[in-house]
Parts: sequence; structure tokens; C-alpha cells
Amino acid sequence: MRRAVTLFSTLVLATTLLAAPGAFAPARAQNPITQDGQNPMGAKPTADSVNEEFLFKNADKITGRVSIPDRKSANLIQPQGREYRAFRESWLPWIGGLGILGMIAALAGFFLWRGRILTDDTQESGRKILRFNAFERFAHWMTATCFIILSLSGLNYIFGKRLLMPLIGPEAFGSLAQWAKYSHVYLAWPFMLGVVIMVAVWVKDNIPNRIDWAWIKAGGGFLGKGHPHAERFNAGQKGVFWMVAGFGAAMGVTGLMMLFPFTVLDINGMQVMQVIHALIGVAFIVGILAHIYIGTLGMKGAYDAMGSGEVDLAWARAHHDLWVEKQQAKTASGPQLTGRHPAPAE
Amino acid sequence: MKAFAAAVIAAIALGVLAMYALTSNQTFAYQAFATSGTRVSEPGINLVGPKWNGMPVVGEANDAAHGKAEGEASHPKRS
Repeated sequence: MRRAVTLFSTLVLATTLLAAPGAFAPARAQNPITQDGQNPMGAKPTADSVNEEFLFKNADKITGRVSIPDRKSANLIQPQGREYRAFRESWLPWIGGLGILGMIAALAGFFLWRGRILTDDTQESGRKILRFNAFERFAHWMTATCFIILSLSGLNYIFGKRLLMPLIGPEAFGSLAQWAKYSHVYLAWPFMLGVVIMVAVWVKDNIPNRIDWAWIKAGGGFLGKGHPHAERFNAGQKGVFWMVAGFGAAMGVTGLMMLFPFTVLDINGMQVMQVIHALIGVAFIVGILAHIYIGTLGMKGAYDAMGSGEVDLAWARAHHDLWVEKQQAKTASGPQLTGRHPAPAE
Repeated sequence: MKAFAAAVIAAIALGVLAMYALTSNQTFAYQAFATSGTRVSEPGINLVGPKWNGMPVVGEANDAAHGKAEGEASHPKRS
């Protein structure tokens, strides 16, 4: 009997020991002290704290506090910077390269197909007419020389480290890029002045009208034979004028934003200005390449207008007949220069 | 040709003028943003170090940029 009691007691004790952890498990699971990330009251202490997602709902960047006067250095996270960098390092070189090389290829193809647009030598009159006076040529060449330097130094920002640095080495490229940067920053000022002068001098001759539409429909002398009627500037030249005026203004404004960084804009605005400046700059170069082509290689006699300022009267009649008529009506002596007073360009 | 030469001379002259006008109003960052209690960088030193060549060499660039801690390690304080 005693043995049976001892056996029963042992069984009860063993059962109790085995069942006890299971019986207390729910209670222990609900004990807040044993849960990670919870305080004794059962609440998550970080549940109400600010996080990155919350901060980005309030502003487009996360900023801290700094004690130095440069408040910009308080920027901690600026997601737009990653988009800007992707554009700057990935998209922009492709856009610039394809745009410029594409225009060069298109001009080469056009030259092979159309050849140089000639004026019959036998039809030249031998008399000259003043197409652009000295001040107009001065403004044009000041703007043009600055534009070429600005273009090359601007392209160096995009392609320099990719194309030049492997060729000339980092030290030479560093010096070159430094001087290119100086030229870009300082020659921007005479360029902007030149654009302002050209707009002021030529805007009255570049207002679009019906003659321009007829010129465009006739192919502008590029596609067919002969030349449609044109005043002092044809529709193509007016297009170049307004491109220079518009792009010049845009490049000037965005350039000034970068010359005086953070004066008006914050870091996001600065990056947007750089994107606009770069894209318009590439489009500007592409457009001016076509302008240079038609002003030199593409058309015989065109360079004289901006070179010496004088063109042959027959060339002027062929390309700008309505303008020549007006000039002849203005001057009783006619537009010829030889031995007489030059016809005014205006 | 005279108009072209005059244009080039004028462009250079205006560029030089712009250079003097701009640089007279500029100060280096370490001058502009330093206070009596804060030193901002030093002239001639940048964050990427003096031997940076543009190539992303991990380790070497970091060493040059930030340097390594030198000297004996500090011992934990006994309270």
C-alpha cells in the first residue's frame, strides 16, 4: 500500500512539473517585460517618433541644424540629388552626344545631297550693298566668339572627364578644366551683352509675317530652284534670331542663378537650373551648328554679309529681294557702294 | 576684319572686367562660413585628399580622405 502511495505521488509530481510551464505560458507571453521593443506598459516607444517617410511628407528634404552661418550644410537627405546625379552622369552625355553628332551628320548628309547653294557667277553685278554695318558685325562677332568659347568649355563639363582626361592625363585636364571654367564664367558677360545688343538692333526686322509663311512653303530655296521672296531676314534667319534671343535669355537667367548660387534658389532649385542650362545649352549648340553651316559652307556669298559687311547686289536681290527694293527706294543713289555713299543697312 | 578684331578685344576686356567685379565680391567658404567658434575646412585641403585621381579606389581614397586614428587606444573609465 505504501508503495502504491509513493508511486501515485511520484506520478502526480511528474505530471505537475510537466504541465506547469504550459499552464503559465499564456501569462508569460502577455507579460510586457519579456517582449522586445515594448515597455512595461505594453506600448512601442518608437511608434510615435518621426521617421523618414513622415519627414518627406512635410518637406522635400530632411534637414538638421548647424551652428555655422552656412545653413545649406544642414541638409541631411535630399532625394532629388540622386535624380540630378542620374541625369548629369547618365542621360546628359547621351543627349549631348547624340544631339551634336546627329546635327553634324545631318548637315553632312544635306551637303552631300544638296551641295553648296550657289549663285551664278555670271549674274553677279560687281556692285556691293551694305548688308550689316560695323556695329552690327561687332555685336555679332562678340557674341559669336564668346558663344564658341562658352560651348567648348560647357561641353568640357559634360565630356571632359570622359574624353579629354584619358588622353591628356588628370593634371593637364585639371588645369584645362580650371581655365575653361574661368572662361565660361567670365565670358558669359560679354555674351549676354551681345545678345541684348543684337535683340535691340534686329528685333524690328525679325517680326514674323505672311512673307515668312510663303518662304517656308516654298522650301526657302533649300529644296527647289530659285529663292522665294524675303525681306531683310528670311524665315530661317528669323528662326535663328528668336532662337538666340530665347535661348540666350534662358541661358543668361539660369547661368546667373549658378553664378550667384543659393542667392535666390535652394539646392533643389540649383539642380533644376543646371538641368535646364545643360539641355538648352545642347539645343543651342545644335541650332548654331546649322547657322554656322549655312553661313559659311552651305551657301556661297552668305559669309560676306557678316565678314566684310558687303554682299553683291545680285546676291542680295536673289536672297532678299524685298529688302533690296526698300533700300533702293530709301536712297536715291541706289544701294551700290562703289564710288558712292553706302546704302544704309537699316 | 576690324569689326571682328574689335569684337574679340571687347569680349576679352569685358571678361576681365567681369572677373574683377566678381572676385571682389567673393570670399572662400572657409572665410565666409567660419565663426569665432567654428573652423570650416582649411585652404588647400579637400575631402577627397591630395592624391585623388578620379578613380574609385576603395580603401586608398578613404585612407587619404579621412586618415587613420593613431596613438594608443584609450582605456575605459573606471567608476
